[in-house]
Amino acid sequence: MPQDMPPVGGYGPVQYKRNIPARGFRPITYLVGMHLLMGYGYYKLFHGIREQNELAREKVWGRLHILPLLQAEEDRDQVRRHFADKAREKELLGSESKVYNTERFVRPTFVYTPTKVTQ
Amino acid sequence: MAAREPQFNQQVLVDTTPMPADIPSVQEVGATSAPLTSAAYFIGDRCKAFNDDYMKCKQEANGRGEFDCLKEGRKVTRCAASVIKDINTHCLKQFTAHWECLENNNHHLWECRKPEMELNKCVFDKLGLKKTIPGAPEGQTPVHLRPKQIYAQFPGPQY
Repeated sequence: MPQDMPPVGGYGPVQYKRNIPARGFRPITYLVGMHLLMGYGYYKLFHGIREQNELAREKVWGRLHILPLLQAEEDRDQVRRHFADKAREKELLGSESKVYNTERFVRPTFVYTPTKVTQ
Repeated sequence: MAAREPQFNQQVLVDTTPMPADIPSVQEVGATSAPLTSAAYFIGDRCKAFNDDYMKCKQEANGRGEFDCLKEGRKVTRCAASVIKDINTHCLKQFTAHWECLENNNHHLWECRKPEMELNKCVFDKLGLKKTIPGAPEGQTPVHLRPKQIYAQFPGPQY
């Protein structure tokens, strides 16, 4: 009895690889695309930061223009309270005492609070 | 429970003794933050000399000078009050529109460019005061004149 032999012309090629097409684009496309997107983002960020700087400049200068006004009002209020304190002390004690060993105005640590509702 | 009245509140804390008569009195401006923010650049435009004078006085007094700079401070307040008064007489509608917009938008100037443009135009026509931002880079549109405000809730053309 003859032995089993390969078919004439040999066996066909064995398909060991799955025949699935590669998905998507070429990898270089993704690399370039990512960098383009990132470049766009940085472009917007650059202009956004410039705009923020200008808005901050606008805000600060607006504040600087009214700052002397606010400070003058505050100073006047301090002077008014200072004279009121002096007059009150004079009325209560009959004399004025110096708290600090200096002539300049020192902002008081404690402020006078009226006992009744004043405003 | 809690039948006791609160002892400390804003009402009782204010000492209302008036200023002594020998110091000239001045009417305070009395505007809140939004109108002041709205009018700040016009105040700065008209009152620059008084403001600089006052700040110089304060600086020469090493930042104190509460008593020494009273005179300069009165000038500053009178000048600012005159600006507010002029704006109120000539551009009340635009001014109110702008500062109410600021009030409603967390004092973000970039949200209120349309009322601001109208206010600036009116103030420039009637009073001749102009809003300029010192130190802004040259060759660019100043930020308050740009049609698009990229940080506004509606970033497109504002007017």
